[in-house]
Amino acid sequence: MEILLLLSVFVIATCGLIYELVAGTLASYLLGDSVTQFSTIIGAYLFSMGIGAYFSRFFKKDLLSWFIQLEILVGLIGGISSAALFLLFEHAASFRLVLYLLVGLTGTLVGLELPLLMNILKDRYEFKDLVSRVFTFDYIGALAASIVFPLLLVPYLGLIRTSCFFGILNVAVAIVVLVKFKREIKWARYLKSKAVACIIVLVGLFIWADKIMTFAESQAFRDPVIYSHSSSYQRIVLTHSRLDLRLYLNGNLQFSSADEYRYHEALIHPAMLYSPKRSQVLILGGGDGMAARELLKYPEVEQVTLVDLDPAMTKLFRQNSMLASLNDSSLLSPRVHVINADAFQWLKENEKHFDVVIVDFPDPGNYAVGKLYTTAFYRKLRHALTDSSVVVIQSTSPYVAPKAFWCVNATLQECNYQTIPYHTYVPSFGEWGYVMASPGPLAKHHDSLPAGLRYFATGTFSQMCDFTADMQQRKVLANHLNNQILVQYFEDEWGKYQE
Amino acid sequence: MAIIAGGTITVSQYVACMEKKDKYAHISSRISGASAKAGHMMRDQQFGTPDITEYTDAVIVGGGAAGLTAARHLHHSGFTNFRLLELEPHTGGNASSGSNQYSAYPLGAHYLPIPNTDNQPLLDLLAEAGILTGYDPNGLPIYNETDLCYDPEERLYIRNRWQEGLVPQLGISHQTQDEIRRFLELMEQLRKAKGSDNRYAFDIPVANSSNDALYRELDQLTMEEWLTQQHYHSEELRWYLDYCCRDDYGAGISTISAWAGIHYFASRKGKAANADSSQLLTWPQGNGRLVQHLQQFSRDKTQTGCVVYKITPETKQVLVDYYDINTHQIKRLVAKACIMATPQFITQRLIPGGQYDHAFVYSPWLVANITLDQIPESSGYQLCWDNVIYQGKSLGYVNAQQQRLTQQLPAKQVITYYLPLDHLDPVASRKYAIALSPQHWVKLIADDLEAVHPGITELMHDIDITVWGHGMIRPHKGFITGDVRAAAQKSPFANVFYAHSDLSGISIFEEAFYHGNKAAGALTDYCG
Repeated sequence: MEILLLLSVFVIATCGLIYELVAGTLASYLLGDSVTQFSTIIGAYLFSMGIGAYFSRFFKKDLLSWFIQLEILVGLIGGISSAALFLLFEHAASFRLVLYLLVGLTGTLVGLELPLLMNILKDRYEFKDLVSRVFTFDYIGALAASIVFPLLLVPYLGLIRTSCFFGILNVAVAIVVLVKFKREIKWARYLKSKAVACIIVLVGLFIWADKIMTFAESQAFRDPVIYSHSSSYQRIVLTHSRLDLRLYLNGNLQFSSADEYRYHEALIHPAMLYSPKRSQVLILGGGDGMAARELLKYPEVEQVTLVDLDPAMTKLFRQNSMLASLNDSSLLSPRVHVINADAFQWLKENEKHFDVVIVDFPDPGNYAVGKLYTTAFYRKLRHALTDSSVVVIQSTSPYVAPKAFWCVNATLQECNYQTIPYHTYVPSFGEWGYVMASPGPLAKHHDSLPAGLRYFATGTFSQMCDFTADMQQRKVLANHLNNQILVQYFEDEWGKYQE
Repeated sequence: MAIIAGGTITVSQYVACMEKKDKYAHISSRISGASAKAGHMMRDQQFGTPDITEYTDAVIVGGGAAGLTAARHLHHSGFTNFRLLELEPHTGGNASSGSNQYSAYPLGAHYLPIPNTDNQPLLDLLAEAGILTGYDPNGLPIYNETDLCYDPEERLYIRNRWQEGLVPQLGISHQTQDEIRRFLELMEQLRKAKGSDNRYAFDIPVANSSNDALYRELDQLTMEEWLTQQHYHSEELRWYLDYCCRDDYGAGISTISAWAGIHYFASRKGKAANADSSQLLTWPQGNGRLVQHLQQFSRDKTQTGCVVYKITPETKQVLVDYYDINTHQIKRLVAKACIMATPQFITQRLIPGGQYDHAFVYSPWLVANITLDQIPESSGYQLCWDNVIYQGKSLGYVNAQQQRLTQQLPAKQVITYYLPLDHLDPVASRKYAIALSPQHWVKLIADDLEAVHPGITELMHDIDITVWGHGMIRPHKGFITGDVRAAAQKSPFANVFYAHSDLSGISIFEEAFYHGNKAAGALTDYCG
């Protein structure tokens, strides 16, 4: 009997520390800045344990039954905590509040455990023996937890399964105690069915954890994955590290929060300087709202029409407070009109003309996306332009994929656009290219830029238009629907980098 | 021991059979296609004297590509008082199309190769339909980019992998590579070759091809015999050519004449400003796109569900007697002249003194439009427009989604599966095809595709099966240059004109178009 109860001390201690570690890790994954997250989580958790310990004095009768109740509850809440946090990340307006509530609750319950257990054991041992044994097993458990957590659990089980697994252990303790002390326990049958139900929930969650967060996927990314979602169109993944937050679509990096301003300022502001009129702007792609953020810096911009295929993207970047802070809540602006539609289809039906068009599609890495870089597309786009409208197209890396980059330029020229190809350096991407184009002659019409830019300045542009020898214009074919040559260039050139 | 093993096999076969029964239960299916019943009515039923007589200037019997072309020609000639009678509930013939909530799809012909630049009437048709948008400074046609087949065009499943292109490349010997190169070089030469009459050795329409005996003699051999004579022995090359013949003629190299087999390659001299000569024009509804354009010229003059059962040419007029399936009436049209845009096995039954010559052989076909959740990925080259299986009994499938511009695919996709029924002689194949239930076809089709896409059966929802009893004229040995075809070109009556691709011996849109225009031209001349 004695060894059994002490073993449960060991298990309880391990579980308690694991929940704390899971919460700390999750917080630093999801919110970044691991030092702050870990220390505030540990602080909040320990404080909540203190609250739990305080409340233990109010339990006077039926201690064993209460203890079992408690184990089931800790197991359930601790067990589902990480799954719940991952799922809530997208939806909760204030994720921090949910996080600390959950940490507080778990901590309070865990804080109740040992005092309650010691009260149960106090008549069976001498006080000094009791204290010595309980704390010995408590600290051994803590050591075990702190060693297995980073070495085994996170890499092999992942966070969701780890907390599930320890939730199951907590409930298992409840069941063992239930069985061994049958005669001393009130409401034994009720407790038993409750425990079994919790075990089923947790085992189910353990098995289906993949559905919530593919463990294999987290392996593919450099940094911890904090969010992943398969929409009807693409796989959206957010990773978070100490330095930055990164968005990946189908495994391709879309931006790093550390340097996306370079990419987006270079995407938007040259076209804005070259366009005589700037009141009606169209963004094709760009569901992250970053391009819209740059455009909203111009008071002349009356309306930004943003056409992005994927409602999951625009919803995520509108609702999540952390992501909305990256795009200055541009997707909530009354000046921004978000339309979730296929760009080709939408252009076919559109009758409006735009002064500036930002084409920010994913790289032409497959034949479906490749269609959005064809002469057919640019001819269709012409119908949404006036003679003096300015278009800018993100055009992959002129350093890594010069043929692909110059192919975009050649394709636009074949459709009778005047073009200005240019490039810039974005640390997380490398050297990146854009093509500015217009049905009419391209000339600078404005000199002033909005305040608060961190990278782009009027003087910068002439340098951006200069292509060094390793990025010089190549002789390439234009991209047509019936040759899809761009996808072939892109695959050949980027393929070398992936081997 | 043998008995035990035998017993085991029987039991496992039984189990497999039981499993399979369930395996297809979720796939709905139906057979449509040329109304054999209505067609046979013409052959078998006796009709009385007409209840109603109507008068018109001209009657076109048959609303396939040739009949619709003839109607367009009449329309453009200012000849507006005519009628078009069609047996089926819709016009279009082999180029008919269907659709469901996910996609349009062809019931037969799927594409038109870039036309030869000297085929001006066809280029004009494409310009009229908005498919050809203009000519570049060199006079080369510019095609509407969205009507050209999008890249990637073709792939072949060979040695358990998909490869790019249909000419076998994966794992073939040097000897075979040399043979393939030699063959393709020869075809390139023959593409340019002209006969002593200064006409192209192989041309489209067939009627424009050279009469030089040097080339016409090729019709006296089967493609297979010619390959042997020319020392082409490679299995892969022979398979490829067999595939090409089955694709265009519904029968393989052992049946098709060498002239026709070579015509497949050497007749295509198409050029375009914005496409290679090997490229083609295609649409989700296949050649339905072309007949939809043609239909506008005869829409108000077309009567469907009409079983024409007798043609009586008289000196000043032609009597066309038909049974109207919709109203159950027997009717007579009295016209100055008539175009028989029907295949010869029908034309010769309707014409007085006509005798259907069995040299006109028709290949039966099955075309199945399969609606499925998605096309499963498999190893090798990615999904293309045309997806062919090496040594498969079918020709593989065409993926209509290829011609979509949008990023998002519909919830379900439609692929078109082509199966020439050439495993038996045409008559036996036709009987077999008509006797088979939709469930049998489903099993046959699903099992065939399982070999390249394991698990595809589960993803299927519906199969729309079209059986073409007389799908294509078959240019078997001696047919193209033979007397029977020559004799069939012209009707024995001054006021009856023939128009059907089977008169060319090759069942392609270009030939139907040629005969439709030719017959309508002759008719307008006749009527003055």
